[in-house]
Amino acid sequence: MRGYARKIRDQIPVLGTLVIVVIVWQVTTQYGIVPQYLLPSPTNIISTYFKSRVDWASQTLVTLREILVGFALGTALGIGLAFLVAESKIVNKVLMPYIVMTQVLPLVAIAPIIYITFGFNDTSRIILVILISFFPVVIGTETGLIDVDKNLVYLMQTLGAGEFKIFYKIRLPNSLPHMFDGLRISMTGATIGAIVAEFVSSNAGLGYLITTSLTTYEIATSFVAVFILAALGLVLYGAVTLASRVLMPWFKGR
Amino acid sequence: MQHIGKTYDTITGETVEALRDVSFDLKEEEVLGIVGPSGCGKSTLLRLMTGLEPPTNGQIQRGEKTGRFLVGFVFQDSSLARWRTVYENIRLPLEVLGRKDEGSVKKVIDLVGLSGFEKAYPSELSGGMQRRVAIARALVHQPTVLLMDEPFSGVDEITKEVLQQDLNYLIRTLAATAVFVTHDIDEAVYLSDQVLVMSNRPGTIIKTVTVNLPKVRDQSIRTQPEFVSSCAIIREKLQLLRPTTATRQSNEEKPDT
Repeated sequence: MRGYARKIRDQIPVLGTLVIVVIVWQVTTQYGIVPQYLLPSPTNIISTYFKSRVDWASQTLVTLREILVGFALGTALGIGLAFLVAESKIVNKVLMPYIVMTQVLPLVAIAPIIYITFGFNDTSRIILVILISFFPVVIGTETGLIDVDKNLVYLMQTLGAGEFKIFYKIRLPNSLPHMFDGLRISMTGATIGAIVAEFVSSNAGLGYLITTSLTTYEIATSFVAVFILAALGLVLYGAVTLASRVLMPWFKGR
Repeated sequence: MQHIGKTYDTITGETVEALRDVSFDLKEEEVLGIVGPSGCGKSTLLRLMTGLEPPTNGQIQRGEKTGRFLVGFVFQDSSLARWRTVYENIRLPLEVLGRKDEGSVKKVIDLVGLSGFEKAYPSELSGGMQRRVAIARALVHQPTVLLMDEPFSGVDEITKEVLQQDLNYLIRTLAATAVFVTHDIDEAVYLSDQVLVMSNRPGTIIKTVTVNLPKVRDQSIRTQPEFVSSCAIIREKLQLLRPTTATRQSNEEKPDT
């Protein structure tokens, strides 16, 4: 069977299950077995999407911006910290406890503090996304930097290579697979972080829509937002995976 | 190398005397093999020759030769960069040294018999082929000395004999100076002009065997009297280092040179 045909055939179980779930859902909600104020039917959700006054595109963009900016800055921060921590054991001992502390406190508890300090604005929301997304990158990158083939470093030294050359030619490419492990986790974290930040305080975005529509009992609206969010998360995760394939053509892992 | 000794501290805090009073000369275009039991300091001796770390005792003197002292190193497990293709792996020393010499890379790829595999990644190659890449990488920059640490350990016997023959031809074609460490007595005799036999730790040389065979060798050499007797001499010296019930009569043997 040709490649594309086989790929489609392999997806049939997944899609088939999905179709069955949707049908059961539609039937149970349409005929009142499950009330629509608890679980709107699929047709309800779809029509709400089209009929609502909400500008889905611009709301999605608000959240997307928070995710992407926070992810980018969080990644930069994570990589930077990983270098410091991998380079020096002292720095490692001093910094790591603080880094870990930022992770064990729940975001909803930290959020009010950030908002009060930096204002109830987008900056605070991005800061919260940074907080949740930088940690996996630190761990992933640090593991990648430490896990280097000592023979390769020795080889470089016999050729008179300085530390920077060794870093650029050996340590950095070597750390990419582990770094991307961190990035994939970080991306999903960034998505959650943006929504949580919006839950706590916001005036726009998918998280904002979810909370406000729930308080006004427009359940269907909140479901539309949730579905858009899920789709967005999948696309972003796929983007990271795609980037890893482009930057690491030699890697057979994923 | 004169009266070389090397002592170092391990991670657990012990002091290990790896080498004691090792002396030998290495001439240009000579191939030197080093055999000895595990842990006798062979690898340490090899690494001292790179000049990255000084010996604890003794001196290393290099003859006058124009140009920079460069080594090519082949590791026991190839140690290729898995994110680089065969071509890029071999080119690495040239990059570090700042030389732009694509011709050398092609030439050495041909010499090790890997033409056509330039764009392959290490993970796509067999063990034997990875060794060839490692050897090519160690020769591409025309080093003063080629150093090899058990270059064929773990390779199956059949492939190994092919690799040994190819390596011998390669070294002689390039008129290279080489030192290698091995557990394989046959390999040591096959490839070398001289073989140093080392004792248990602290390693010292208990015998130097000169191999009187033509420089370029093929498989038929393995059955020649000179080959067999050289191997026998080495084996005999190494037997005395192994405590077995069969050699109960004298386990201690004074080192003789």
